Amino acid sequence: MLRVRDLTRSYGRLTALSSVSLDVQPGEIVGLLGANGAGKSTLLRTAAGLQPPDAGTVGIQGIDLWAEPLAAKRLLGYAAEEPSFYEELSADEYVAFVATVRGLDPLAARARAHTLFLRLGLAGRTDEPVHQFSHGMRKKLSFAAAVLHHPAVLLCDEALDGFDASGALEAKAELRTLAGGGCAILFSSHVTEAIERLCDRVVLLHRGRVARVLERAAWGSPAPGPSPLEREFLAVARDTLHP
Amino acid sequence: MNPSRHPETQAFRRLRSGLARRRLAQLEPRLRVELFLLSLLLAGFVFWQVRTPFASLSAEGGPPAVAGALALTSAVLAFLTAGFVAGRHAQRLRGGPPGPEWLGLPLDPRLLARHLAWDSGALAGWIAVPTIGVWISAFGLVPLAWQIALLPALAWSLFLASRLGTILGQRIALWKLRDHPQLDPMVRILSARTRASRPRPIRAPRWTRKSVRLAFWAKDLRVSLRVHSVRQQLLVAVLFWALSLAAWQLPDMAARHVDYAAAFVLGLLGSAALGEWLVALSGSDPFAAVRVLPVRLADIWGARFASALLATLLLVAGHALAARELSPQALRVFLVWLAGATLMISALAVNYGVTLFPRADIAQRLLGLSLGLAVAASLMVPLLGWLVLLTAVLHSARRLPHWSHLEEV
Repeated sequence: MLRVRDLTRSYGRLTALSSVSLDVQPGEIVGLLGANGAGKSTLLRTAAGLQPPDAGTVGIQGIDLWAEPLAAKRLLGYAAEEPSFYEELSADEYVAFVATVRGLDPLAARARAHTLFLRLGLAGRTDEPVHQFSHGMRKKLSFAAAVLHHPAVLLCDEALDGFDASGALEAKAELRTLAGGGCAILFSSHVTEAIERLCDRVVLLHRGRVARVLERAAWGSPAPGPSPLEREFLAVARDTLHP
Repeated sequence: MNPSRHPETQAFRRLRSGLARRRLAQLEPRLRVELFLLSLLLAGFVFWQVRTPFASLSAEGGPPAVAGALALTSAVLAFLTAGFVAGRHAQRLRGGPPGPEWLGLPLDPRLLARHLAWDSGALAGWIAVPTIGVWISAFGLVPLAWQIALLPALAWSLFLASRLGTILGQRIALWKLRDHPQLDPMVRILSARTRASRPRPIRAPRWTRKSVRLAFWAKDLRVSLRVHSVRQQLLVAVLFWALSLAAWQLPDMAARHVDYAAAFVLGLLGSAALGEWLVALSGSDPFAAVRVLPVRLADIWGARFASALLATLLLVAGHALAARELSPQALRVFLVWLAGATLMISALAVNYGVTLFPRADIAQRLLGLSLGLAVAASLMVPLLGWLVLLTAVLHSARRLPHWSHLEEV
């Protein structure tokens, strides 16, 4: 599970996060909603170990991220809002590198990577250097690298932003599968529709503070899976791919 | 409307002053002090080297001879400035200058060209440091009025050299561009596109189980072969080392120590370039991608230093073969000094690269300053440079335990 306690983080005089606390239980998908500048990315970057907090702790499965970063990061996946890569490596090479560093079984990791690439619509382009990729393809690659190892805790920072419709559907399905397997997912987005369909609980951030926490019952239950429009799109996409 | 009051001109003026302020503010106060002290040292070193020849000239030809030498030295520095600025400007224009998508803005291309030239011309500021050292060297050897009159002339020469450099740089960037000759040169340069077709596929990687260190090492190798800027640094190192080996083939001169010295100096230059390559490798690490991985300092440090160790072994083996005619004693001394220097420079580069990550530019600058200081110290007092280098390695190593809490993006 993910446990954030009293997390505070400032940039000079600007307090981006002020004593934020939240828990994400295993199997739970928690949405993080907030206006631009509310502190969503700061929270996720700090929880991912990309920047130290000024105060507070981040616990990944009971491990303090900043006290035992190595052990915590083994359990953690992070899909960045603006992902960065080794631009000259191919997507295959990059993910193989990540798999090695994470100590994954090579054959299983390759199979998993290829499945993810296929589902996300990257197959056929994974032998190209990453700098050739479009924004959406980069986001997909970042997502694939983040979920490759079936993380215990997954942090998604506007992770599906830039995905095409079918890629987004597959990614959401993957998130549900991961959650079904016990993964605790913190999913940030400014698109309420994605959060409505995907999340079990929503944390509303405002000016670096937790303004409200809403349970799923608070916003009703839209039909699970693709929306009618997404279903139409999928039908066309499948017809195009398999005429 | 007066061109200087044109809104675009004013906007660029404001942008430039804002950028200058912001860049200065980005330097930590401590780093600012260090840079100031190093500049003082550099100017002092130049003074120390130039003062004696100037004094000799003064004794022989009086103040006119000193003023002439001062002008000549300044001309050489201005020439170097023009060359450096031209190279940097051309590289930046071709690689995509910093800032927004300039061509997407409704800008007069000439104003844009002037702004980009200003950005690249800032390099000339660094040449001002040795120039001041040269200027101070003439103090007391020429009349005070001449001395004061020369100062704006020197500043003006640097400014002109910088302008000339940016003009040359733009010409270089424009060279070989054939498309749309009717367009403004800056528009042609910025709109030039490299291939748009599908690139050559990269061979599929081998998914094998290996250590994290080896994974990083293999990745470093790939990056070195594929990323132009990183590859260039490695090639410079290889080139200097090849020249260093070739130095043993120099025809016998009065004494054997000529090729000995040449091989050693070229070898050290190669080692410095190797250090720059190691820093460039650190700079190529994508911040968010690496920091979220469960990687220990020892893995990254070890992978980088392993490359340096391997390169040093190859260098030593090469020299052992190329300098067979040297007496065993002399050869041993040569190899120990060269290998020692290479390993120390490499350790320094890896320390700076890893601990200043992702600010490879600062790491590069600190490495260059440390090496320059070591060379200056060695020239002042023999062997003092080694002490300086060792101190720098130890000082940089003190940062290692805090490597994960460092420079933020």
